[in-house]
Formats: sequence, structure tokens, C-alpha cells
Amino acid sequence: MDWYLWMAIIGLGVCLLSCVYHFYRIISLGNPPEYARRSGHIGKAVRYSFTGAMSPKVKESAYLHMPTYMAGIIYHIGTFLAIFIFLLSLFGIWLSGMVMYIAAGILALSALSGFGILIKRIGKNELRSLSNPDDYISNILVNLFQLFTALAMIDESFIPAYFIISAILLLYFPLGKLKHAVYFFAARYHLGYFYGWRDVWPPKPIKK
Amino acid sequence: MEKLSKQKIQKGLEVLKRDVGSKLLTNVNACVHCGLCAESCVYYRLKPDEHFVPAKKVDIVSSVYRRYHTLGGKLTPWLTKARKLDDATIEDMVDLLYGSCTMCGRCNKHCSVGVDIEYLVRTGRAMLAEMGYVPETLQKTVDTALSTGNNMGIPTDEFVDTLKWLEEDLQFEVNDDTAIIPLDEKGKDIMYTLNPREPKFFPLSISAMAKVFYAAGESWTLSTKMYDVTNYAYFSGNLEEGRVIAKRMEDEMKRLECKRCVLAECGHGSRAFRWEAPNYLEKEMPFEVDTSVELLAEYIREGKIKVDPQKNQELVTLHDPCNLTRGGGVYEEQRYILKNCVANFAEMDPTGTDNLCCGGGGGQLSMSEYNERRMGIGKLKADQIRSTGAAVVATPCHNCVDQLLQINAANKLNVKIKTLAEIVADAIVLDNEEQPKEN
Repeated sequence: MDWYLWMAIIGLGVCLLSCVYHFYRIISLGNPPEYARRSGHIGKAVRYSFTGAMSPKVKESAYLHMPTYMAGIIYHIGTFLAIFIFLLSLFGIWLSGMVMYIAAGILALSALSGFGILIKRIGKNELRSLSNPDDYISNILVNLFQLFTALAMIDESFIPAYFIISAILLLYFPLGKLKHAVYFFAARYHLGYFYGWRDVWPPKPIKK
Repeated sequence: MEKLSKQKIQKGLEVLKRDVGSKLLTNVNACVHCGLCAESCVYYRLKPDEHFVPAKKVDIVSSVYRRYHTLGGKLTPWLTKARKLDDATIEDMVDLLYGSCTMCGRCNKHCSVGVDIEYLVRTGRAMLAEMGYVPETLQKTVDTALSTGNNMGIPTDEFVDTLKWLEEDLQFEVNDDTAIIPLDEKGKDIMYTLNPREPKFFPLSISAMAKVFYAAGESWTLSTKMYDVTNYAYFSGNLEEGRVIAKRMEDEMKRLECKRCVLAECGHGSRAFRWEAPNYLEKEMPFEVDTSVELLAEYIREGKIKVDPQKNQELVTLHDPCNLTRGGGVYEEQRYILKNCVANFAEMDPTGTDNLCCGGGGGQLSMSEYNERRMGIGKLKADQIRSTGAAVVATPCHNCVDQLLQINAANKLNVKIKTLAEIVADAIVLDNEEQPKEN
């Protein structure tokens, strides 16, 4: 097996271990203590937290920022697609034909969205002030991962570079904001739990 | 600002260690710095400045967490801007967490990830409280409550005198010499609490609620020892002081052997006692705790009081207090009450759990050093009110009433600000009252 493939496998191992560690830590610490008498339904609220509450119709962060929101959605679809292709590639399976070109197109679009988000981060004062080096590094690594996934599918000569970039991304995962891949789910859970306890979620409709 | 000592730093960091649980761990690690939360904050809406982006509040607490509790933060703090807990950080924390946040929790709902930003603000305030950096003005309010039993420092005899005068007023209003405002009576069904602003500045809201109790034939009492529903330690972040205040209320309920504690129209007070006090005391309360908003809705729903919406003809709008609505899940009840008690009602936009904070929350009414910001935010609320065309703003929160009165004057809105109890009392049809003749 080629050395760069080994690098990618080691990277995947580190990344998975990190995910398992963070998940284990969150789960082992349990639910936050709530001693007040519960008035809502936790299960329904958590479900709402992952579904209705994520709707762009109810989130200002989405409907007031549609271009950024759409770029973010495409970017994340591209990331999940790239991860799927990466896992296949470890077994020597590569997409081909029309499917490959469609996947490459999606990845190119998502990488472009990622670069758009990066440019916004650099260009907008308040985002620049909020950002740290990790924000830029994480974004660039994911952009490159998506781009090189597309290139490696189309042209074999990009495969070594593709696996090296994948390895760097996976090894970097435990160090910075990429961990939100784990904490996003925990945050949605906790918000649902909190609002569910108090019967804020799922929302009761207000007739105007 | 007082110089930091090692002991103080340790005290602040202890909070992060003490409170570490799944929720804290999640929230300090989940923010992706997208900045899309900006518009959800009333401070940012008024002044679109990087300082007021809610993610900044998240970051200042999580950056300290990273610096002391993560390997990356210890070895390569530059990578994630992990901050030391030093004078500069504390100065930023005080301004961001006390001076730029009403703890309204609107940003939580709109965060693209779901970070509980308000929870992190409370965690940061708890750190500052442990280190002794609570703004003096806010701390003074807590100290007054601790030393006198109520946050306005009202002496008991003055309080009792006010209630006696209100009782006479009630007897005249309901035309019944036997109508009373019961004080310190044991074994009643309800112990009712007050926001000390009521006896001090708005006594008519007490007589309004007394009239409702009278009409409902309720078995109730007020305590002269511990009636203060507020708990400003919830805002200052001092857990121990919050616990002392909550314990007093619990003890008073036990002393008076009442079955149900009904919390006056006070957003943070109802949240602090109903939802946070059990956490302070690490136990479920051994009695029922409800807000007066729920009680009023219950009276109407169960027919315990008769109301006539035609008695309130003016157009009424509703300001939802953040802690009662977003933080407490009470938002249908106030609408049900108004639907039954006023002839004309108009919702604000946005409304309900999306409503904008009036600016008086988070202890802002106590912290005079941030008055300019607070009144600035008030302009957003003034615009909301103006666009409804309402003549009356109803709100089930005395802190909001206070802020809305100031907004009303500063922005020349010429509206009346009323509590729900006042509106219900105006709509009540008493049994001995002459019924309008039908044509």
C-alpha cells in the first residue's frame, strides 16, 4: 500500500478516536441537572430542535442571510459527499461515469461555496474580529479536501495529493472547530432538552 | 477596576471546573464563529458593531475555557485565541456579559448551531461574581434584598401601611367592607408574591390582583416577611446569594403552610423561583409554583371570575417578557387572558418567543452605568409599539413595566402601560355589580 494511503488511514483513525472520545465524554457526563418540576415533553422538544427549529423559516440566521445560509448548506452537503467518497477510496472504490461527474460538480460547487465563506470571513470586519487562525485553517483544509476529491476522481495523478490533504484534515480535526461535527448534535440536543423541560418547544402556535 | 490576584483567578476558574458537565462542555465547543447570530441581538440591531455580536459573548467565555482546560489551548493558545484570565480579559468580560446583554436568550433560538448563548453569559457572570467583579450598582440591589428581605429595602411597617391603605381602597372598589388583603395567614391555598416595585411605585397593581382574588373567592395570603419575587442574584451570577434568596421564599411557604406559591408578574422573578431556585437548592420544591399569568388564565377558563372585554375598549398590544416566554414557556396564557378581557388586541411583530427584549432585563435597570445603551435598545421596542397603533401596552412583568414607562416618555409614545392583573381587574364583572341593561 502507498505511504500516502497509510497516512490517510492513520488520519482517519485519529479523527475517529477523537470523535468517539468527545461523544463518550458528552454522554458520560449525562443530562444537566434540572430540579424544577418539568412542564413540557423532552422527546418532542429534542425532535423539534433537530427538525422544525432548524427550518430557515424560523431562524433569522438563515432567512436574513440567505446567500450565506445556502452556501453553508451546499458546503456541508459537499463535505459529507467528500467523506463518503473518501471512505470508498480507502477500499479502492472510485466513482465513475456520469455519477462521478455529478459528484465532482457538486464538490466543485461546494468548494466554491467554502471559498465564498472564507472571503466573507476575511472581508467583513465583525467576522474578522470574531475569527481566529483555526477558523481560517479549518475552512481552507475542508475546501481543499472537497476540491482534491473532485480532482482525484477525474485525474489519477491527483490521488497522492488527495490522500495527503485528507490525512492533514483528519489529523487536524481534534485541534479546532472541526469538532463541531460532534458538538453540533450535542448543542441541538441540549437546546431541545432545555426548552422541552420548560414547555417552550415544540412551539404552540400564536394566532395573529 | 480592582487588581487581579492569583486567588481571584482561581476562584473564577473554579466555576468552569465546578459547572463542567455535558452542557458546558458542549456550549464552549460548538460555536463556529459564523456571526449569523448578530441580528438576533437587540444591542447589535441598534448598533451594528462587532462588539455586540452574541458570538463575542460565547467566545470570551469559551476562550478562557480553552486556555485552561484544553491541551490545544495550553500548548498553542494563538491557534484558537485562547485567552488568559487577566485584567484585560476581565474588563472585556464585564462589558460584554453585564453591559451588552439582557440575557433575553433570543440569540439561542436563532443561532445556526444551537449554542445556548445565554447559558454561557450566565456562566461568565458566575465567574465574575466569584471574583468580585459584579457591577456595584447591580450588587447593591442584591445586597439590599439580602439585608432587608426585599430589593427596594422597604421597611415592613411601611409595607403593611401601604397594604392597609390598599385594603380600604379595595373595599371601596368592590363595595364590600369585608374584602381584605390577608397578611401572614397560615394554611391558605395560595401565598402570593410581589415585585417590590409594586408597593413602592405601582400599588394599584396589588389592588388589581386583590380584586381578582376577591372576585374568585380565593383563599390567599401575602407574607410581610418574604414577599419579594425577584432574585437579582440570578442576574449577578452569584449562586450562593441566589440560593439564600430562594431558600427564604421556600421557608416562608413552609412557615405559612400554603399549598401553592403564585409568582407576581415579574419575568425574571418567575424564572428565578420556578425554574432556577430548585437548581440552586438542588431539590424539587415541595409545593406547587405557578405564575400569576397562569392563575389568571385558569380563573377565566374555569369561570371563577366573570370578565367583560367590552370594559376595555382601547386597542391593546402585548409585550412578552423574555424570561416568562422564551425562558419559561408561558405565552398562550397571556393571549388567552387578553382575548377574554379586551375588545381590541394587536400583536407586535415579532412576537411570542421571538419578541424583542425591552432592554430592561439582565439587571440592566439596576446598572445605571449602561443606561444609554438600555434606552437605545428601547427605541426598537418603541418602534414595535408604534407600529401596532395600540393605546395600551400590556406586559406581565414589573421590570418591563418600568422600562416601558421610560421608553414611553423618551419616545413620546403616549401609551398606557398595564400589567395583566390591571387589565383583568378592569374587565371583571362582580356579582354585586349592576349588569348592563339589554336593549
